[in-house]
Amino acid sequence: MSEPRDPHTELDELRRAQTELVNSAKLATLGSLVAGVAHEINTPLGALHSNHDVIERALNKLQDILEDEVVTPDELEEVRKIVRAMDGVLHTNGIAVGRMVKLVDSLRTFGRPDRADVDRVDLHEGIEGTLALLGHEIHDIEILREFGDIPLVECYPDRINQVFMNLLLNALQAMGEHGTLTIRTRSNSNQASVAISDTGPGISPETREHLFDPGFTTKGERVGMGLGLAISRQIVDQHSGDMEVDSVLGEGTTFTVSLPLDLIEGAA
Amino acid sequence: MSDRQTTVMIVDDEEMVVTSIRSFLELDTPHRVLTFTSPSDALEALAVEHVHVIVADYMMPGMDGVTFLTEARDCRPQASRILLTGYADRHNAIRAINEAGLYHYLQKPWDNDELKLIIRNGVERSRLFNELDARVAALEVANEELSGLRQKLIEAFL
Repeated sequence: MSEPRDPHTELDELRRAQTELVNSAKLATLGSLVAGVAHEINTPLGALHSNHDVIERALNKLQDILEDEVVTPDELEEVRKIVRAMDGVLHTNGIAVGRMVKLVDSLRTFGRPDRADVDRVDLHEGIEGTLALLGHEIHDIEILREFGDIPLVECYPDRINQVFMNLLLNALQAMGEHGTLTIRTRSNSNQASVAISDTGPGISPETREHLFDPGFTTKGERVGMGLGLAISRQIVDQHSGDMEVDSVLGEGTTFTVSLPLDLIEGAA
Repeated sequence: MSDRQTTVMIVDDEEMVVTSIRSFLELDTPHRVLTFTSPSDALEALAVEHVHVIVADYMMPGMDGVTFLTEARDCRPQASRILLTGYADRHNAIRAINEAGLYHYLQKPWDNDELKLIIRNGVERSRLFNELDARVAALEVANEELSGLRQKLIEAFL
């Protein structure tokens, strides 16, 4: 039927297809990230937006009162009212700005475009930063942190955070509105592990067989869907780490990622 | 209705949202403002407070805004209920508004002039309902008095 093809061309094509898949998975992660940031920023932004307007109105009122250079007792009462409003506004602005600073900090931990290289990091920081960006998926889900005293881990932090993003997002989406997310961290003399457990419906044995297949998804057709776990496994493999799944139907699922404390670069 | 004081209730789990709206309404409107960060506390207050307008956030832990506003209707059927929503939950919110028969929805970040206008119209609407109720009650009393008189007239002629 078809002519025998040059194995090098075929390999090149496969590599290109793989790169494209990896990129679309990154886009899907980026999509979740952007949706999260937009949602998290909306509340403090809403407060600041309203408060800016309140300050403008308050200033106009004060200017009106001061215009004739005589302040009547009624106007004095009005000034007191304005001061009370300004007090509330100032307090809220402080909280809103604080929230946005924290959000940008989380993004830095997550992205680190300035340091896309190997670094020794506190995995807890990456987990917390990722959780902060997933606020909109948390709903009424309870989050239990069973954090051990783990040493810094040498890794590619941006890639490892992408693994956390995928696993946490999967766990939250498996539960929907209610449930318990447990994050357990442990370490021994040569490796650290992070176990992420949900109380979702669990994974059937048939689904489990395909769990790490690129393109396999139970979430419907969306660009990059079905690549989260395939990419995550690839990243963990690059770190010569290990990823395990433990699932009981009707009870929940636990994904455990183990990483060597000192980076041993594995095959991609 | 002799009491002209109007009351607006704001419910959002985010302290900064309720404080911002309170600051604005207290500065620029005559309404009395009640704020709550817990929907269940707000429901308790509704049992004793005469409220004209209720503004509630859609996404709150424990009880979402639509459930809260639906329960609030049982307590204060005359109050105008307004849902505050983020962009992401807009579609769910619009569906819920139609199902729960809400008065209005407002998207975050909100515009203060729009908020003021919606609240003012909501207060007016709530007042009209209250007035209508009072008139209907007065008519019923008058009607009863009339049928009593009619009975007396009939008895007098018999």
